[in-house]
Amino acid sequence: MGLERRTDYFVGHFEAMASHCEVLIDTRDKNLAQEITHLAAAEVSRIEQKYSRYRDDNILHRINQGTAVQVDEETARLLNYAQQLYHLSEGKFDVTSGVLRRAWHFDGSDNIPSVARIDALLPLVGWEKIQRHHSQIQLTAGMEIDFGGIGKEYAADRAALAVSALIAGQSDAHARSTSALINLGGDLAVTGPRKNGNGWQVGVDSGAPVNSGAPINNSGAPLIPTQTADFSLKQGGVATSGDANRYLEKSGVRYGHVLDPRTGWPVKGAPAAVTVVAASCTDAGMLSTMALLHGPAAEDFLRKQEVPYWCQWHKDAMNRAATSD
Amino acid sequence: MQLKKKRQGPRNIRHQLAAATCGLLAGSSHASSLIASGDNWKIDSALLIYAEKDRVSLAEGVLSISKEIDDDEFINARIVTDVLTGSSPNGAVPSSTAQTFTNPSGNSTYTEAANSTPLNHTFKDLRNALNVEWDTPLSRSLRGTLGGNISREYDYLSTGISASLAQDINQRHTTLTVGLSVNKDTWDPVGGVPVGFAVMPTYPAKKALDGANADKTVKEILLGVTQIINRQTLMQINYSRGQGSGYLTDPYKILSVLENDGSGNLRSTNPYIYENRPDQRTYQSLYWKGVHQFPNENVLNLSYRYFWDDWGIQSHTVDLRYRFDFDGGHYLQPHLRYYQQGSADFYRQTLTDSEETTLSYASADYRLGEFVTQTIGLKYGFAFKNGAEINFRAEMITQKGKDRRADAVGLLQNQQLFPDNEAYLLQGGLSLDSDMLIKYIMRFFK
Amino acid sequence: MIKTLLFSTFISLVLSACSLEPVQPWDRDLLAQQKMQLVADPLEIYLDEHTYFSKEASSGGQGVGGGGCGCN
Repeated sequence: MGLERRTDYFVGHFEAMASHCEVLIDTRDKNLAQEITHLAAAEVSRIEQKYSRYRDDNILHRINQGTAVQVDEETARLLNYAQQLYHLSEGKFDVTSGVLRRAWHFDGSDNIPSVARIDALLPLVGWEKIQRHHSQIQLTAGMEIDFGGIGKEYAADRAALAVSALIAGQSDAHARSTSALINLGGDLAVTGPRKNGNGWQVGVDSGAPVNSGAPINNSGAPLIPTQTADFSLKQGGVATSGDANRYLEKSGVRYGHVLDPRTGWPVKGAPAAVTVVAASCTDAGMLSTMALLHGPAAEDFLRKQEVPYWCQWHKDAMNRAATSD
Repeated sequence: MQLKKKRQGPRNIRHQLAAATCGLLAGSSHASSLIASGDNWKIDSALLIYAEKDRVSLAEGVLSISKEIDDDEFINARIVTDVLTGSSPNGAVPSSTAQTFTNPSGNSTYTEAANSTPLNHTFKDLRNALNVEWDTPLSRSLRGTLGGNISREYDYLSTGISASLAQDINQRHTTLTVGLSVNKDTWDPVGGVPVGFAVMPTYPAKKALDGANADKTVKEILLGVTQIINRQTLMQINYSRGQGSGYLTDPYKILSVLENDGSGNLRSTNPYIYENRPDQRTYQSLYWKGVHQFPNENVLNLSYRYFWDDWGIQSHTVDLRYRFDFDGGHYLQPHLRYYQQGSADFYRQTLTDSEETTLSYASADYRLGEFVTQTIGLKYGFAFKNGAEINFRAEMITQKGKDRRADAVGLLQNQQLFPDNEAYLLQGGLSLDSDMLIKYIMRFFK
Repeated sequence: MIKTLLFSTFISLVLSACSLEPVQPWDRDLLAQQKMQLVADPLEIYLDEHTYFSKEASSGGQGVGGGGCGCN
């Protein structure tokens, strides 16, 4: 964890959720910046530890064992949210689709799984198969819940809310007008406009060419305005979904890593990256993910939502022209 | 059920998504609506001033506190205090000469000038009431409520319990409700309970008594159906039935007794008698309510009630509220209410000497008469960003009574037997939660 | 006569509910708003009911119980 002083703001760094995370704090008070960074890092770590599928000591692991589990309020809310998204997306967004990664390994190779392999996993996918009653949940054996699709955005919003509360509780009026921007590897949430009334300057990676064969990493949206599309973020959040670096390619056909839970296969013709600005990072994340799930119709979908967006397509025209199921 | 047409192309999900996210992120300290969860209490308060022209004035304070004690399970306590002052018609009709009446206590008299409606001026009362309710889910689609209430004034005590069940069916589009309540009340009137139709004696004689206090029991049942019509519309229909038994008379109200000759003159001796109502009353009502939100986010609230009982009373009530929402959290809500009532069978504005012996029941209480009440009002409200709300309401209530032709005999034709009544109502309200309250108190004392 | 007319109107309103468009759980956003509740402001309704109970012969319709007072 580190803290850097910039001209009129601080930048706090920490690593979490397999990304480089930053907190930009609009203050000259080093102690306050330190406090805010610690709080944001703590909240993001808390959520990561609670919902990471790589741990065997959290509630997610207990749920994925298949026994009936009484969940806490936060988890209940996340499950309700997952359910609402399942219905809103007409089944395309499903937190039980994580088991499909047993078949798909997006390493840029041409190892496409067999139809039989996928079909064997499909019975384990499907939100409607979960049993829920009040705050109790039970999965059937072999099923898994994976909050990976909403975890980072949720953590960004939660961290922003925690920092907002800390700022609001400051005794000094000047300190109470502090603003912070949370950046979790490209998923952003802000607590409010900066002290001068302007928003935080955000740049969107909309002009850079997409490089096939690049190493697998999470490319974040740079905060220094380097690209043509940059804007001012006063409130809400920004999220990016894309399959730029995680894909398989066989016989000239590109298989992106965004899978349609109903078929077990990747959404054909999805854009390379979608960035959305919305009222919260979670909203933005959902809209960008849903845009990807619409494949070639991604921009039609985004236009309908009446939010600022940037949609980047692969140079590969063949995939662009592919129709979705 | 109609089949929903398959959607062509993507639809705008931004609002539903925002609503879903709101629910997800609501567990923070920046909830946009008040939630009585965890250790947080939701507090609603209101102060009301009601004043009739030349009659009764009332100041009433209400405090309602709610807390979520378990998953979707709530308790609520409501405390009410009201202070009543002023004067109220005693039931006698105006006369061309001044009239003297004995106070309910029997210890003094009061006089009403000629040609004006006799009012009992010593009308002062303080009332305190407590209502407690427990509301809990009983199963996935069934909800139960249990309540108790107690209300105390210096001459009246009311205690009661109520229970209701609400069952969701039809994929939560329809809710069936059943409710029951029992109230046991006791009158402890000043000067005791007068015998029905006993004469109001000339001071210092005391009125004939039927005990120091009298009981009354009221049982009610309600059956209701609530139906979601579409995304913007909701409706409810209720059938209610109530039964009152015991002492249903007003111990302070009298009737003027006239000579049999049709002159309209008061009987020369003991021209005032205490009223008498039956000791049973069964009443029913059919109530319909609709709530609809327009595309501009304004909300219409309309209700109609038809009421009838075995005392011969029938009434119609139409209530309309329309809410205009403005940017920044302000709203304005005009209100119109129209009420029309037919009189009770035994409602009389005066009795003749012979009617006094032939009739079993009679009352001149204008509230059992034939009249129309019209209300027009406006409410202003403002919602703070943290979910607290403040509101103000002002209303004008006009009551126009109908004189009973059969009673307006002789000289009484020069009098207004059922005068109009005008009242205004002012109310201020504040809603917040205990976290905010503590914060404001701490800040105040800093 | 009026009673029969009212009864049949109410029954038909209830029956017509069967032919209505279903509202999915994620479309219940408006119905969840406080201003869309059947009793949006409980205190206002309580105070109104109490005022009119003491001035008129009719009472209730929206709920049961709540207690009485000597004002009527």
